[in-house]
Amino acid sequence: MLQASVLERVAIAVASTLLALLLGSLIVAASGYDAVQFVSALLYGAFGTASNLAFTLRQSTMLILAGVAVAIAFRAGVFNIGVQGQFVVGGFATAITILFLAPMLPEGVVGGVLLMGLGTVAAVVAGGAYAALPGMMKAYAGANEVITTIMLNFIATGVVYFLVDGFLRPSGTSAPNTEPFPTYVELPPIVFESGTFSVIGLGVALAVVAVVYVTMVRTRFGYDLVTSGHQEPAAAYSGVNPKQTIVTTMTFSGMVAGLTGALFTIMILGYYSDPSTFPRFGFDAIAVSLLAANNPLGVVPAGLLFGGLDAGGQYIGFTLDVPAELVDGITGLVVLFVAAPELFRMAGRRTGLGGEKR
Amino acid sequence: MSVGEYASRNRLSISLAVAAVLLIVAAAALLDLPGAELLTVGALERTLRAATPIALAAIGGLYAEKSGVFNIGLEGFMIFGAFTAAAAAWILSGDQSIGQLHLWAGILIAVLVCSLLTVAFAVLTIRYKADQIVAGLAVWFIGLGFGPFLASVVWGGVSSPALPNVATLTVPVLSDLPVIGRLLFDTSPLILFTLVLTVVAWVVLYRTRYGYWVQAAGENPEALDTAGVDVNRVRYATVVFSGAIAGLAGAVLSVGIGSGFIGTGVTIVDGRGWIAIVAYLFGNYNPVGAFLASLLFGAMDMLQIQLQTVGIALPGSITGLFPYVAVLVVLTLVGYTRVPAAVGEPYETEE
Repeated sequence: MLQASVLERVAIAVASTLLALLLGSLIVAASGYDAVQFVSALLYGAFGTASNLAFTLRQSTMLILAGVAVAIAFRAGVFNIGVQGQFVVGGFATAITILFLAPMLPEGVVGGVLLMGLGTVAAVVAGGAYAALPGMMKAYAGANEVITTIMLNFIATGVVYFLVDGFLRPSGTSAPNTEPFPTYVELPPIVFESGTFSVIGLGVALAVVAVVYVTMVRTRFGYDLVTSGHQEPAAAYSGVNPKQTIVTTMTFSGMVAGLTGALFTIMILGYYSDPSTFPRFGFDAIAVSLLAANNPLGVVPAGLLFGGLDAGGQYIGFTLDVPAELVDGITGLVVLFVAAPELFRMAGRRTGLGGEKR
Repeated sequence: MSVGEYASRNRLSISLAVAAVLLIVAAAALLDLPGAELLTVGALERTLRAATPIALAAIGGLYAEKSGVFNIGLEGFMIFGAFTAAAAAWILSGDQSIGQLHLWAGILIAVLVCSLLTVAFAVLTIRYKADQIVAGLAVWFIGLGFGPFLASVVWGGVSSPALPNVATLTVPVLSDLPVIGRLLFDTSPLILFTLVLTVVAWVVLYRTRYGYWVQAAGENPEALDTAGVDVNRVRYATVVFSGAIAGLAGAVLSVGIGSGFIGTGVTIVDGRGWIAIVAYLFGNYNPVGAFLASLLFGAMDMLQIQLQTVGIALPGSITGLFPYVAVLVVLTLVGYTRVPAAVGEPYETEE
């Protein structure tokens, strides 16, 4: 999608982020807030204290995982905008699996590990299946996947809310929440004293990055996937069935999105709730993946950056009474600038900083 | 393209639409639903209201895509339009009672602001060759972020307080006509405007020289260039038009027929920009077809009220999903609409 060398990509990513932050600060200043205070609060909120850092890493973990899900599809030339929906469906599958099986399994660590494992498997299956749907619609009916996946996001949120509110809400309560999971279903925090972040979660995310990277670079499946994204005729010539590739790509992407939902449900929530109130990790992940030029390894630094922005933004929302939605807008600006590498090339040529190397 | 030609070229979508209507009628008969109670003038009126913002955005998006630029940011521009109209009317009235003049000024300002924002989008996609899909998604995210943010700056919360909306225009004598009178001559002037715009958009696209330029810019930009017409100028014009009209569509939602800006969740626009894209695909890039498709989605949106009146109480969280499901069904059935040949490709003159 973006034709550029590795160095150029890094430069574009850095320039896009800086330009977006600059524009964001200008908008903050124009709205009557103190821009310097805004930036320093952003940094403090992201890294200032151990608990702020834990929050940053928690958000980064989710964004890295969801970012990998997006990157898998984008690499193959398919736009999976439905990571949010697959994330919601996956997390819901985890929640019902854990709540349904909990009474049948032994309590304690063994039961906890079993429940988390089975819940995660359920999420991967559900996320993959929910992503296979738009994949099939694109491959066999020519339906534009950008629009179908967005519609499926709305549908996932609505249907899951309906199920949680109508069938899983304990009687006598008014909030659309399920029963909480048993206390032994949890990831031990280990390094940070945080109820919602565990280094194990970050480890899972990094392991997934490694697995996806190896799959993309070292396996036949990954090769077919990337070739059909860049050189469809070449892929077809070498015997790749493009329709099947679209479906498998989407399924693979959705499986990772489902896993993101499982981790969110187990590590952060500990119950399930109205998905329209969840953070929009699936959308921010699009920015993460684009900034990383859809490279699974590049998703790690990009995820850390957006995790920090997210944590800083929420801190600002609490303390400065600048609404946290601002960060969503800045994320959008980053995406906009990353989409236009030509803008920076031209700026580079004008200023003599970057050369034309074609 | 004449109506007959349109019919012969779109046999599939037309027959599907007819089949859908027949299926609904058959289902109603089988389930013993009181059809007369389902299809009332009130239902038609609500459908028309719900369809208006979708149809407006669809006509704009159709022009941009016909000329070769896929404006997938319609949803984002609608969010900015909805916010700007409400905020401008609020600020102009000085927080006092908001009058009709303030509302109309708000709508006008929303159109202007969205035009300016679209100029930036057009420059990025046309001049700097930004990936149109990614840039369009970015516009959506920017709207989702800055819409509620700016609302908080103006009102101290992500939604506006309840605002009045544009008054109904009642045409004397004509409004006494049965059915048509109430639908067309005793309604919001914005609905009337949308109907007129649909017809004008059709005439311009298929019956004027400029319309042929637009079509050529999307189908065969080299030929248009050879004929001495600046391809990119045509594209700038249609893209800015699409953004302006999407801004109007958003303004219609917030102060035209709605009562203020809602910034919670996915905002007041709630996917209508995306539905608009499907509407013009379903209408095969024909403004009249796009309008009819918008009516279909509008009807889906309003189905809940009709089902309630005949005693079928589905929860709102489920009936609210009807338009999205309809979009999926439509896209799956008519996925292969022929998109203009040069969509998504930046055009560079060879000089």
